[in-house]
Amino acid sequence: MIDESLVQQVVREVLKSLGRQAPEEKPAPAVGGGLDPARDYPLATQRPELVRTPGGRRLDELTLERVMSGEITADEFRITPETLRLQAEIAAAVGRRQLAENLRRAAELTAIPDERILEIYNALRPYRSTKAELLAIADELESRYGARINAAFIREAAEVYERRGRLKA
Amino acid sequence: MKRSRRFEVLAARPVNQDGFVVEWPEVGLIAMNSPNDPQPGIRIEQGRVVELDGKRREDFDMIDQFIADYAIDLDVAPRVMAMDSVTLARMLVDVNVPREEIVALTRGMTPAKIVEVVGHLNVVEMMMALQKMRARRTPSNQCHVTNLRDNPVLLAADAAEAAVRGFDEQETTVGVVRYAPFNALALLVGSQTGRGGVLTQCALEEATELLLGMRGLTSYAETISVYGTEQVFVDGDDTPWSKAFLASAYASRGLKMRFTSGTGSEVQMGYAEGKSMLYLETRCVMITKGAGVQGLQNGSISCIGIPGAVPSGIRAVLAENLITTMLDLEVASGNDQTFSHSDIRRTARMLMQMLPGTDFIFSGFSAVPNYDNMFAGSNFDAEDFDDYLILQRDLMVDGGLRPVREEEILAVRRRAAQALQAVFRELGLPPIEDEEVEAATYAHGSKEMPPRKVAEDLQAAQEMLRRGVTGLDVVRALAKHGYQDIAERVLNMLKQRVSGDYLQTSAIITADFRVLSAVNDPNDYRGPNTGYRLSGARWEEIKNIPQAIRPEDFDV
Repeated sequence: MIDESLVQQVVREVLKSLGRQAPEEKPAPAVGGGLDPARDYPLATQRPELVRTPGGRRLDELTLERVMSGEITADEFRITPETLRLQAEIAAAVGRRQLAENLRRAAELTAIPDERILEIYNALRPYRSTKAELLAIADELESRYGARINAAFIREAAEVYERRGRLKA
Repeated sequence: MKRSRRFEVLAARPVNQDGFVVEWPEVGLIAMNSPNDPQPGIRIEQGRVVELDGKRREDFDMIDQFIADYAIDLDVAPRVMAMDSVTLARMLVDVNVPREEIVALTRGMTPAKIVEVVGHLNVVEMMMALQKMRARRTPSNQCHVTNLRDNPVLLAADAAEAAVRGFDEQETTVGVVRYAPFNALALLVGSQTGRGGVLTQCALEEATELLLGMRGLTSYAETISVYGTEQVFVDGDDTPWSKAFLASAYASRGLKMRFTSGTGSEVQMGYAEGKSMLYLETRCVMITKGAGVQGLQNGSISCIGIPGAVPSGIRAVLAENLITTMLDLEVASGNDQTFSHSDIRRTARMLMQMLPGTDFIFSGFSAVPNYDNMFAGSNFDAEDFDDYLILQRDLMVDGGLRPVREEEILAVRRRAAQALQAVFRELGLPPIEDEEVEAATYAHGSKEMPPRKVAEDLQAAQEMLRRGVTGLDVVRALAKHGYQDIAERVLNMLKQRVSGDYLQTSAIITADFRVLSAVNDPNDYRGPNTGYRLSGARWEEIKNIPQAIRPEDFDV
């Protein structure tokens, strides 16, 4: 499952970088194009057709019957990068720029396995990593998962930690 | 000296068991307006902040840099920084100035500017401002559900009761860390038995807390602490960057989260840099804003004894809640730790948030007796339920709770305990005996519960983590044992993370699983007859406490 979504993610990132220069500036174009928070939120009830599980199912397909028959597994109960970008669009439309940025960083992190997320978080804690180790994580995020915003964020952290003496000795 | 009898009586009053201290700015024992607080100021060159509140960029600590680069809107900053702070303070109180206008201006303020503006307000003005500035129109409340022995059966019963009593969010934590998976599980099953849509969390060390969320055993997180000085932040084993990454990690799994901070934490940890508590707290609120986190739990929280001991400290606590809303963040406004021996004082402190209403007036109200509260007690607990309900009725204020009948509470407590019994059986966890269900149905606290085999429980709880039991396993177990309705509700909670609607600011979930947030329920208060008004069915509910005598009770 992870490999499949990883491939999707990489393809999307490549397509995006072909399309324009600075993809992190704007969310990927929404399926609906230009969400109106007053009309389209909550997505689950107002625009359910825009929301999909990682396996491509609609919300109304996530029924107790399908759970009981084993047709639907826990992996399906995850948010997709597309949905996070739609939520980012809504946050931005109501003037919450930073929340939108956080949701876009989150969209990039959906492809990264749980354990690796926890490891990266721990590596970002003070005195845990050398500068080279942090830069390696940034490279990994960028090349392996197409997570450019996060990569830039971690590179920035590496600079700040160096300046403030918070790197691993 | 011969003692005055009156002074002896006064000395014996509960309030005189509280601790008080004179202002001592050098160590940060000052609530607001320390002589060492910086003067407001900003210098921007080529789209970058080069000086913030009198400090040059090359001298920035991590927090200065994070705030300068992420939290301040540079398009607005020059204009608002040039505005008179008294004028801005008056705009906060003026019902004719809409919330959006204040939010737009606050975006461009530095920490020192914000502190200067709110420093002009007295508590009544702060409450008026808070009423206008909170993000969600409908006020709400959160509770703590814990017990001294981490007894899961009692947790489930108490969670169910708390849900029926009206709490929209429930927080648990552990006495023994290894019990955590059971506590999260018991809270999930219990809360959804009480009413569908209640959000639950289990406060733990950051990485473990995230893991339980990823597994679908909790639906949000809150105890992600941030601090106002770099040294305390690092002593807390984090940086603004690690915490911001963690915030994105939560969102990437479709989990709601907020940060936590509060006045007094920096003094308590010994590095206040001589700054006022409110100035340092404002830095925390701005870190939260900069990280793109939707909300913040503040109001001193676990350090309430410190602002509570200094002059104007409880005013500063109200000010920090207000600042959170000015920065357009959800506020879970404290009132969540024992702070005074005096019932008068703890009530007065609570009214500052209850009267204007906040996104979560308590974070949380102890839904268990104080001895069972594992967050070092709370300002209000289960024994205050009726006082609180009557305050709502006296003042016609919506504090988020509803009167309940004993029969309905007994029924829902029993059902929650039985549902957990079934889930434990299905998941192969140590059995819950019928007498435990019976005891949990009628219990007030853990003293009334039969003991469990703790060693077995702990081993099974760790095994549950290793096996990777998820929320979906809980759904299956419930459905298999005839608890279709609770299974559906837990399933609906898991579906929330697919749509992500509750990642927006100030989200709660109604009983019919509609997300209510600052996006579709924005606070539109503009003075009398606007904004949230207690009326209709909700007012009828609050009015009709079972204690009130009715006409039919008179034999005339």
